Amino acid sequence: MNDFFHGVTVRSGKLLSIMMLVCLGGGLVCSLGSLHAIWASGHFDFGMIAPILFVAGGSSGLMAIMSFRRSCRILIEAIHRMTTRGKLNNLQTESEEIRPLISAVNEMVEAAETCMSDATLQMKELEIQLKVATSERQHAQAIIYSISDAVLVTDTFDELVLANESAARTFQFDLDRSRRARIEDVVHDEKLVELIRDMRQSNSKTGRRIVEHKIKGPGEEKIFKVTLSAVADDTDAPAGVVAVLHDMTREKEVAELKNDFVSSVSHELRTPLASIKAYVEMLIDGEADDEKTTREFYEVIQNEANRLSRLIDNILNISRIESGLVQINKQPQSLMVILKEALEVIAPQARLKQITMVEQLTPAFYQTTADKDMLYQAILNLLSNAVKYTPERGTITVQTTVDEAKRKVITRISDTGVGIPPKDLPFVFDKFYRAEANNHMAKGTGLGLSLVKHIIETVHRGRMFVESHVGKGSCFGFELDLSD
Amino acid sequence: MAAKKILVADDESHILHVVSLKLRNAGFEVLTAADGLEALELAQTERPDLLITDYHMPQLSGLELCQKLKQDPATARIPAIMLTARGYQLDPKDTAESGILRMLSKPFSPRHLLTMVNEVLLEAAGGVLT
Repeated sequence: MNDFFHGVTVRSGKLLSIMMLVCLGGGLVCSLGSLHAIWASGHFDFGMIAPILFVAGGSSGLMAIMSFRRSCRILIEAIHRMTTRGKLNNLQTESEEIRPLISAVNEMVEAAETCMSDATLQMKELEIQLKVATSERQHAQAIIYSISDAVLVTDTFDELVLANESAARTFQFDLDRSRRARIEDVVHDEKLVELIRDMRQSNSKTGRRIVEHKIKGPGEEKIFKVTLSAVADDTDAPAGVVAVLHDMTREKEVAELKNDFVSSVSHELRTPLASIKAYVEMLIDGEADDEKTTREFYEVIQNEANRLSRLIDNILNISRIESGLVQINKQPQSLMVILKEALEVIAPQARLKQITMVEQLTPAFYQTTADKDMLYQAILNLLSNAVKYTPERGTITVQTTVDEAKRKVITRISDTGVGIPPKDLPFVFDKFYRAEANNHMAKGTGLGLSLVKHIIETVHRGRMFVESHVGKGSCFGFELDLSD
Repeated sequence: MAAKKILVADDESHILHVVSLKLRNAGFEVLTAADGLEALELAQTERPDLLITDYHMPQLSGLELCQKLKQDPATARIPAIMLTARGYQLDPKDTAESGILRMLSKPFSPRHLLTMVNEVLLEAAGGVLT
C-alpha cells in the first residue's frame, strides 16, 4: 500500500513540475513579448504585465512544490530508517505543510506500538504457560518412567495414553508406536484388558481395585499385584484408568526360600540333636555296659554337639553376611600367606589319609584387599572339603596364578576325589544342598560352600567357580582383585 | 523262642548305632542298612520281623522302601516303624497302604522306640496286620 502511494506521489509530482515548467516557459516568452510591446509602444497597459505576474506566481508555486517534495523525501527516509532498524520513533518536521501528516503518522505509530507491546506481553505469557505445561508433562512422564512397576494409562475409549518402559518390557510392545493404540492390541492378556475395561465401565471417579494376577511373560510366569485406579478430569468426569503392576514373583520366591530355609535349618539341627538326646538317654539307662562303649557314647555326644555348634555358627555367619550386619575388616593381605596357614592346619588330616599336598603358589608380594579371618575360613573350608572327598593316597593341588593385565589373582584347589555328578554341580553352592551320591563320604552341614561363596563374592566382590568330573576329581577356585 | 529279627535303616550312622544297641540289649537280633537300597536287599534276603526306617535316605526313601516291600508278597507282611527328622506328617493313606504302623519323629527317645517295637510286634503276632 505504502509503496503504491509512494510511487503514485512521485510520478504525479514529476508530471506536475514538468507541466509547470512548460507553462512557465510559455509565460516567460509572453512576458518578454509584453516587455518588448511596452518598450516599443512607450505606452503601459495593465494587460501587458499579466504574463509577468503569471511567471512570478508560477515560479513561487514551483518552489513550493519542490519544497514539499523535499519534505516528503525526508519523511520517507525517516520512515525507511525506522523500518530497517525495527524501532518506531516519533517523526519530527520543520515543514508546516506536512506537519498534520506527520502528526497523523505519529498517532498511527503510537497506536501500532501499543498494539505490539500488548501482543508481546500476551506472547510472553503464553510462552511461560507452555513452558510450565511442558515441564509438568515431562515431570509426570519422568515420574512414570522412573517407576520400576509397569504403568499403563488408558482413556475413556480404552486407548493407551501413557505407559512406561517397564510396561513395554512386561507386555513386549513398542512404547513410541503404541500411543493411542487400543489396549487389547498392546496388552495381549485378556484378563488384564478385562480388568481395565471393567474399571472404566464402572464409571467410578475415584475407585481403586487391587488384584493378584499371573502373567505369562517371555520367560516364566510372573505374579503381579495389579492396582487399578479410575481417574477423573477437572470437570469431575471419568477420564480413564491407571493400572500399576507390581512384580511380586521375587517376593514370593523369597518367602518360599525363607520357608525352605527354616524347614532345612530345623531338619539339620534336629539330626545332631537326635543323636545327642538318644545317647544321653542310653547313658542314663545304663545301656553302655563297658567303659569302651561309655567312652564311645561320650565322644558321639561331643562330636554331635560340636556339629550342632558349627551348624549354628555357619547359619549365623551366612545370615550376617546376607543381611550386611557382619563386621568386615579389609586390609591388604598376602593371599599366599593365608593359603600357607590354612595348608598347615589341614596337613595332619591329609597325612592321615596319605594324601599328597602339592603347592604351586605365586610369590608372597602379590597382595589383595581382604578380611583375613574370613578369607582364611573360606580357604580352610575348601581344603577340608578336598580332604574329605578325596580317597586315601590321592593328591590335592593348591595353585595360584596372577593375571597382571586384569589385576586378578586366581586360586585353584584341585583334588583327585570322587567328583560331583553334573546334575548336582549347579547347586553345590546352595544352602543345605549336598550331592546325594557323595553323602556317605563325609558328614556336612550343607552350608560350608554356601558360606565360601558368600565370603568370596559378597564380602570380597570376587568370583567363585567349580569344575568337576565324576571319578576324576573336582576343582574349586576363586578370583580376587589384586591390590594397587 | 528265637530272637525276633529287626532291620534298621538310617543314613545317620550314630542313630543306626544307638538304635541297634538298644535293641540288641533288649534281646533282639539286629540288621543294619545305611540306605534304602541296601535295606531292600536285606529285607528280601533276611525277611526280618520288623523294619525300622528313616524317611530321608539316599537311593530310596523310607516310604519308597516300604512301598516296594509291600508289592512283593514275600515281604508284604513286614510291619514298619518310620523315623522322620522333618516335622512334617506323611499322608496317612500312604503310610497305611505301605505297612507303616507307627511314626516317630526325631529327636526321639530310644526307650520310647523300644516300647513301640514291642507293641508293633505284639500287634503283628495278634493278627492285627492282615
